[in-house]
Amino acid sequence: MAIQVKLFGDLRSKVKEKPIEGALPTRISLDESGIERISDILSKLSIEESEVSHIFVNGIYSGKNKKVRDGDRVGLFPKRMALLYKWYFPVKDDE
Amino acid sequence: MARKILRVNMSSLEARFEDLPEEYKVLGGRALTSTIVSEEVDPTCHPLGIHNKLVFAPGLVTGTEAPTSGRISVGGKSPLTGGIKEANAGTSFGQKLGRMRIPAIIVEGKHDGKDYYLLKVTHDKAEFINANKWVGRGLYDVYKELRKEFGEKVGICATGIGGEMLGAASGVCFNDPEGLPSRYAGRGGLGAVMASKKLKAIIVDETGAPGVEIANEELFRQGIKKLREALGSHDVTKPGGALNSYGTAVLVNIINEAGALPQRNFSYGQDDRAHDVSGEAKADEIKKRGGVRPHFCSPGCVIQCSEVWTKKGGKDPVGVLEYESVWALGPNCSIYNLDDIGELNRACNDLGLDTIEMGDTLAVAMEGGLIEFGDGKGALKLMEEIRKGTPTGRILVNGTAFTGRAFGVTRVPVVKGQSFPAYDPRPIKGIGITYATTPMGADHTSGYCIAPEILGVGGQLDPADPNKVEVSRNLQLATAFLDSSGYCLFVAFAILDIAEGLEGLVESINGIHGTNLTVDDVAKIGKQVIDIERNFNKAAGFTRADDRLPEFFLEEKLPPHNVVFDVPPEDLDKVFED
Repeated sequence: MAIQVKLFGDLRSKVKEKPIEGALPTRISLDESGIERISDILSKLSIEESEVSHIFVNGIYSGKNKKVRDGDRVGLFPKRMALLYKWYFPVKDDE
Repeated sequence: MARKILRVNMSSLEARFEDLPEEYKVLGGRALTSTIVSEEVDPTCHPLGIHNKLVFAPGLVTGTEAPTSGRISVGGKSPLTGGIKEANAGTSFGQKLGRMRIPAIIVEGKHDGKDYYLLKVTHDKAEFINANKWVGRGLYDVYKELRKEFGEKVGICATGIGGEMLGAASGVCFNDPEGLPSRYAGRGGLGAVMASKKLKAIIVDETGAPGVEIANEELFRQGIKKLREALGSHDVTKPGGALNSYGTAVLVNIINEAGALPQRNFSYGQDDRAHDVSGEAKADEIKKRGGVRPHFCSPGCVIQCSEVWTKKGGKDPVGVLEYESVWALGPNCSIYNLDDIGELNRACNDLGLDTIEMGDTLAVAMEGGLIEFGDGKGALKLMEEIRKGTPTGRILVNGTAFTGRAFGVTRVPVVKGQSFPAYDPRPIKGIGITYATTPMGADHTSGYCIAPEILGVGGQLDPADPNKVEVSRNLQLATAFLDSSGYCLFVAFAILDIAEGLEGLVESINGIHGTNLTVDDVAKIGKQVIDIERNFNKAAGFTRADDRLPEFFLEEKLPPHNVVFDVPPEDLDKVFED
């Protein structure tokens, strides 16, 4: 089942093997082996933390230490899509 | 030359300039419209009768070089909510009034004949011109003709066919820089209040205007420099940042990903089809079609979130498609086609209607079986029913709550009669508290602003577990302040994270008005405005029972998070304990 990752905006260019389709987000499926947290996904995709504005895990606004597991759905947004309403979204993160 | 209020009596067709009362001197925008409405309008009056007034007020800094400050507030008693209303827009119209040293236009009385009038205002004169030839027509044509007749540099404000029908979904329309009828003080039916007085349009011509008087030029310059730097460096507001690149519709994909983008009349919060109408998709299309993006709503904006959407081939410009409009006329109606959404937005602009109210109305009409969900062409036909003034059109033009009753629908997303914007309060509970408790009826812009930590009121909050009641209260207070300043609410993003930005903002106001406000006054001033508004509503008959969300939000779980709105009523009452 793996982890489903959606990359929005500029972050789509991080996945060279998948062509960018119009304005649609790029979807990839990551094997969960070696992935414990969001930060592991970022390093696997060579995305610097400073390039990400916000992270959703199963629709929950999350931090980079949030633990992920098989079947989770992750959305990553670039700096250029900085969240306009962040004070309404408490960040869920793990130690 | 001192600033003067322009008082316009539509009963006698007389207009006169009055001295600005001392106690109004440091009020602007929403603070001034709400103060005047509360002083001069009987809260129990009929909103479309002789005793209601319509008040226009630019913000405290509007008309100066202060960045992103071209806002004008419009206030009165709302025919949609039955309470006080302030709606605002970004347009050169307000900037011109500021430079003409007119801090407010108060329109009162009601013309007792069939004729409509246009009010032409210069810095020292106001005249009434018969406006019958512009009545019953679409605003795109009307604005073209008005610019031809009065010049391309004038500011234009008008009410449309929806207002003339006295529809509660009508807004007050202002011009964008190209003269398109696309910048709306949309919410609350104020277009109907304007038309009820037989005032069709206002033209402002700033020829010979003296400009805004600035008490302390040095302080003003220092303030706007700090603010400009903050806006220019923040990820949301900087050039190439979120708003500048994609417009407000950058939120479509984000809020959909959060599972909070209401779709099919608030029945689910996430659908991959939303990608087709995202800010990214829209920006791509505008580029292909030869529209304009980015674009400013009023000169001097450094954020430039606006745009000009067109038909294919760059034809027939509509103006901006905001996030709220795209959502309301799109996913909320299960419409996932930008061309259909663009044409629905054009119809709203042309008819003088609020896009949010109409989108919710169409979705409720779809739920009531008038047309199928997702039927964009059918929705456009319904907009034509309004233009023709058919009985169906007359139901729709009165908004979501009215349409829900007419078609036997109980899933009707309104608070105080005003329909919900584009954030479902079940997964985003904080905004639900704001929808419930703002004096305006369900309104996203009421709590759109500075973090409580910055304001330093209500104590420090743990960001991981914020007290949602305090967040909502503090956001509402700060918003009421910003709505009075003339600055666009979007400056909030920068002054949230950059302390010098907020400092600069306050200094710019002090520089113009010779005041000694500090950052600590922000919440105080906001509280005064909201107290005035809540007192008006109380006298109009509102109680705590009106500060509640519709029942279905408490009963129906919203996929994908499958949550209900579970903030206890006692907590809602704590937002503004009286």
